[in-house]
Amino acid sequence: MELTKNITLGVYLPGKSFIHNLDPRTKIIAATIIIVLLLFSRSYPAFALSALFIAALIIFSGLPAGYVMRGLKPMLPVLAIMWVFQLFLFKDPDAAVYFQWWIFEATEAGLQMGNLIILRVLFLFTITTFLTLTTSVVSLTDGLESMLKPLQAIGLPSQELVMTLVIALRFVLILAEELEKIIKAQMARGVAFDRGNFIQKTRKIFPVFLPLFIGAFKRAEELIVAMDARSYTGGKGRTKMKTLHMGRVDLGAAAVMIIYSGLLIYIITITEPMI
Amino acid sequence: MPIEVINLNHSYKEGTPFEKQVLFDINLVIDDGEFVGIIGPTRSGKTTLAQHFNALHIPRRGKVLVDGVDTKDKQADLITVRHRVGYVFQNPDYQLFAPTVGEDIAFGPLNQKLPGSEVEKKVREAMDQVGLDYKTLYNRDIFALSGGQKRRAAIAGVLACRPRILVLDDVTAGLDPRGREDILAVIRKLHRRQNITIIFISNSMDEVASMAERIIVIDGGRVLMDDTTKKVFARFAELRSIGLELPEVSVLIDELQQAGFKLPDGILSVNEALHSISSALREMEAQK
Repeated sequence: MELTKNITLGVYLPGKSFIHNLDPRTKIIAATIIIVLLLFSRSYPAFALSALFIAALIIFSGLPAGYVMRGLKPMLPVLAIMWVFQLFLFKDPDAAVYFQWWIFEATEAGLQMGNLIILRVLFLFTITTFLTLTTSVVSLTDGLESMLKPLQAIGLPSQELVMTLVIALRFVLILAEELEKIIKAQMARGVAFDRGNFIQKTRKIFPVFLPLFIGAFKRAEELIVAMDARSYTGGKGRTKMKTLHMGRVDLGAAAVMIIYSGLLIYIITITEPMI
Repeated sequence: MPIEVINLNHSYKEGTPFEKQVLFDINLVIDDGEFVGIIGPTRSGKTTLAQHFNALHIPRRGKVLVDGVDTKDKQADLITVRHRVGYVFQNPDYQLFAPTVGEDIAFGPLNQKLPGSEVEKKVREAMDQVGLDYKTLYNRDIFALSGGQKRRAAIAGVLACRPRILVLDDVTAGLDPRGREDILAVIRKLHRRQNITIIFISNSMDEVASMAERIIVIDGGRVLMDDTTKKVFARFAELRSIGLELPEVSVLIDELQQAGFKLPDGILSVNEALHSISSALREMEAQK
């Protein structure tokens, strides 16, 4: 019984690669660019280029590739359901029909739409996981905060916003750990979480959430007290222990990103979209 | 032989960069009717080991047999194993989740698919056993309970499954002395009257010394000692070197011995200590 084993989102894996050492702002901007370009990608060659690029990043970072992809495992059933929905429910009168039953129609358009969505989710997940795996929470916060600073002028509480985000990220693991304890406690009294059909399994989940939410609220309250006790009053007047500096590596990263973006945009414009 | 652990090894987060081995080649047998204490520094692997006893952890390397059933066996009925080996968790908040005390205690028997009247009977008996009043507390909101009552409700919830072996994971942590004594009395009674095997994990050496007949000391995921309570606590220096406290009585006896008093080894209870100290004093008087 180990739930936390498959959670990779929000986990930081320390390392010494140049990707680890990049300025967090560089990494955040790069990740954003990759994500935006992915949303415009609609052809297999475009995805292939992105796949190559991300694979290269993972190799250079020295992270075990299996571990990066591990977080996908619990998502696979959801992805499969999404794919089936797209396949049968996406309507396009012009597309070739593969199979028809009652109101369900598997069309070529549906198939392509399903593939497109799965590819997008896979890439989004991998790139965000990769970002958190190579960037510690502290530097991620510093980076985001410094990027959002200009927005303070229009009244955006950037520091608070970032703090909330970081706490949420941190809580993913904490909640998974708590969930594991609760599930164990119920298994100890005879609940077979791994048995029964889908509906029976789903019903068993409900009694798990009550203690989980109560625990989460309790933890949140404790956290508030702990932050108060250390005089946290929000972003105003907060100074930084480490200031961020962009270096030569960041310049190199920018160059790589420009080449990748140019190439990808070129491929997107010349290739036939899947749908 | 109810619980048999053979060459058990366990790693957390196996197959990830965070992999960490926490149990190394554990071999032990816990017989019916024993009262075994498990002690060791924090993070030594006590809880991980104990969660193998009721198949919450399934061994990857090595074996755990409960009443001869191999928990690793795909065909094994783990639900029965878990009902036979009751496990009370460190923190009752993880265990209690139904809105009322009665409903929570009924959770286990309901999972056994027993008829309503039978469930009610088991709930009543379990509440009796831990000293919770059935009439006033059956419909009580779980969150209205005191810390000690919560612990007792948690134990009752496990007892309602009728275990033959009870694993108690640091169940007195955070209680006041009164609540602590009450819980310990409940555990003693379960052991004496119903001959339930007790596996008692604790960080309080005084408690373990006064309760257990046999003690298993775990350090760094290995069994360091496995012997009678007296013999284990006679190994002062070793226990201290792994960061464990000693029972208060042992500390006193040790200091007196070092100061030149002739006292026997292995004294653990206050009464024994009183007895031997006073006889030692009488002897010294006589020598003068």
